[in-house]
Amino acid sequence: MAWLIFAPEARGQFAAIARIRWQLFVNSLQTVRGRVELASRIFMGLFIALAGVGGAIGFGGAAWFFISQDEAGWLSILLWSVFLFWQLFPLMATAFTENLDSSNFLRFPLGYPSYFLVRLVYGSLDPATALGSLWLLGITIGIGFADPRLLIWAALVLLAFAIVNLLLARMIFAWVERWLAQRRAREIIGVLFFLFILSFQLIGPLMNRYGEKPRPGVVRVSRELSPAQRLLPPGLAAEAIARMSHGQVSAGLGFFAVLCPYGAAILWLLNLRLRAQYQGENLSEAVGYIASRKENQALRLGWSVLGFPGPIAATFEKELRYLSRSGPMLFTLITPVFWLLIIRLSGKGGNFLARAPDLAFPVGGAYALLLLTNLVYNNFGADGGGIQFFFASPVRFRKIVLAKNLAHVAAFGLETVLVWLAVCMMYRPPAVDVTIATLAGILFAAPANLALGNLLSIYSPKKLDWGTFGRQRASRTTVLASFGIQFGIFGLGTVVFLLARHYGSFWLATPVFLVFSVLSFTGYALVLKRIDRMALDRRETLISELCRA
Amino acid sequence: MDVPAISTEGLTRRFGELVAVHDVNLRVAPGQFFGFLGPNGAGKSTTIKMLTGLLAPTAGRIHILGLDLIAKPLEVKRQIGVVPEGMALFGRLTGSEYLNFVGRMYGLDRETAAKRTAELLEFMQLADQPKKLVTDYSHGMQKKLALAAAVIHGPKILFLDEPFEAVDAIASGTLKAMLQRMIARGATIFLTSHVLEIVERLCSHVAIIDRGRLVAQGSLEELRAGVEAQAATGGPAAAAEGATQSGREKLTLEQIFLRTVGDLRRADQELSWLG
Repeated sequence: MAWLIFAPEARGQFAAIARIRWQLFVNSLQTVRGRVELASRIFMGLFIALAGVGGAIGFGGAAWFFISQDEAGWLSILLWSVFLFWQLFPLMATAFTENLDSSNFLRFPLGYPSYFLVRLVYGSLDPATALGSLWLLGITIGIGFADPRLLIWAALVLLAFAIVNLLLARMIFAWVERWLAQRRAREIIGVLFFLFILSFQLIGPLMNRYGEKPRPGVVRVSRELSPAQRLLPPGLAAEAIARMSHGQVSAGLGFFAVLCPYGAAILWLLNLRLRAQYQGENLSEAVGYIASRKENQALRLGWSVLGFPGPIAATFEKELRYLSRSGPMLFTLITPVFWLLIIRLSGKGGNFLARAPDLAFPVGGAYALLLLTNLVYNNFGADGGGIQFFFASPVRFRKIVLAKNLAHVAAFGLETVLVWLAVCMMYRPPAVDVTIATLAGILFAAPANLALGNLLSIYSPKKLDWGTFGRQRASRTTVLASFGIQFGIFGLGTVVFLLARHYGSFWLATPVFLVFSVLSFTGYALVLKRIDRMALDRRETLISELCRA
Repeated sequence: MDVPAISTEGLTRRFGELVAVHDVNLRVAPGQFFGFLGPNGAGKSTTIKMLTGLLAPTAGRIHILGLDLIAKPLEVKRQIGVVPEGMALFGRLTGSEYLNFVGRMYGLDRETAAKRTAELLEFMQLADQPKKLVTDYSHGMQKKLALAAAVIHGPKILFLDEPFEAVDAIASGTLKAMLQRMIARGATIFLTSHVLEIVERLCSHVAIIDRGRLVAQGSLEELRAGVEAQAATGGPAAAAEGATQSGREKLTLEQIFLRTVGDLRRADQELSWLG
């Protein structure tokens, strides 16, 4: 336990760190952006307070009910909910999580215990910890109301459970951070995370499909899994309280005793990671390569894109290479197909497409277009410092943007083909009139999205950084604006399609969309024509935002 | 008379209340190896950004090879190469893909771009790891790649912002050899650097900017003569020392720089707890 002893100067260091955090906060208020950030934090704080107190009352009420009804075993449902939220929310909503760059502290003579404590405390100031703690407090109070004799025991168990949650969240974060530090690990993690999110979406449809009436197999599996959950922290904590409420003191103590080693094991894993950081591990990938190979040195010609000049072809090639090396972006290509599968699995009665399969292709196409906005609405986000090259090169910005849009259209074209094939296999081949009307709709919606996306890319850029939590998305302004834009574009498209369906012929939609597409093409051409001037006027913002560390 | 490679008239840049660059009149002749020096925050990077079209001037004019940068930006950019502060790299390309891309953006045909890419990678000793992405390069490798990209189209003027920063001695030697070869072929090089020894060894002409104002400009000899003359007439802080020094040996660029920006007194200051 020698590592728990703090150095004599630790107190002063903690005070200095707290002071610098406060100073940074105060200084951030000097800018408009900082004040807006404060306003959004206040808004979020109110929301968290509401969710915390409301949740605590809800959880407390449920705990009171379970104990009063002598069904203390059901407490595990509450504790599993708290546990999953506490562990998953910080990973899903990274923008709300403070992430400390440890290198900032490592250059100071900070002892390891101090470093450990700072990392633990700093990272724990997030909504998940606040909400999780409040909800556990609610559960404790609920149990206390139902059976006052259990209050102290429940408080002790849930305190241990809270500590396990806190340590586990920090441990997961520390390890994820370590994996994100390296590109290859980052890409693998991106794939796993994406699959995890997709599999989450499957829960609903599968429940619909298999959960309508009790199935013996499912019931048996659930019954067999139930004891297994008791071996994990939420189940252990619930069981420790439940057994005690039934007067089984030794069993209750036993479950509590098993919960504590979890905390110790998690602490050990966290310590392993933080100590490696503290000792100055080198995660640079530059040394990981072995200098070798004279093969592959044959001249590799750049792409030639029929009818387009060299700079456009070069930028087109660069964009597609970027896309092919971006795991999350690649997955957006298959998401529409996956989404169609989910809807298909949702059952015959419950969803719109089951009743109107002729609309599967338009809906799938619209979803594909929606995902395209990920690429289009922050055109330069992935370029980072490369934006300087675009400004220094003898190529008009309109050509660069046109080449980027061509790459987007190529990706979207591929996606549309995939959607069409998926619709053919999962529903039925779309009728010719539906296919033509959908393509006409795309001719309207795609240029409109590209034009607006180009504008947002210039006026609200944000550097995308796949290696940092919370830097994988466009700016909040862009996200808000895109909601409005999609509402307008897809709303219009939906009205046209539904009217055509109402009048019994999808052929009616085609000329309407073609008229709209003339307008959207004109808008696109106008934006493209003026984009040189806009980019020049905004170059300082673009460069400073995209080149920031 | 030759058209200057770079000339500015009244070049000014304001950021709100702050005047980062104030009324700068630069003149760089063709074929010069020109060092642009100044203390931190003096306006070097701001100036080089304006000269390369990365930042708009608030006032003044910029002529590159006789062409007005504001009126004919593309014509100017075709003839210059730039290594800006952030190096302007695309991290998710390989070195070869990046150079190919840059070559074609500067109008080279596919074959020429590919051929020069291969040559440059070999010259810069970056050819060993063809599949490695730029983001995984070390800082020195990135600097070499950025320089390779800046010269792939054979520019007449090269603008380099701190090209030797964080570069090891071997890479630095490669860069210097390449720059000297370009000068021998008649190119003009405009560089900023904090490493005064390198500037002194490479550059024939120097300008010094301090708090946004150009305080000295000329060949090294001219600058030296200026400082010595000032010392002889009892100039500011360096007078006594400068007079004795000039009698013995030539002033180094560092001495010229310190005297020009008037920071000798600060260098002599002592901290109470360091004895």
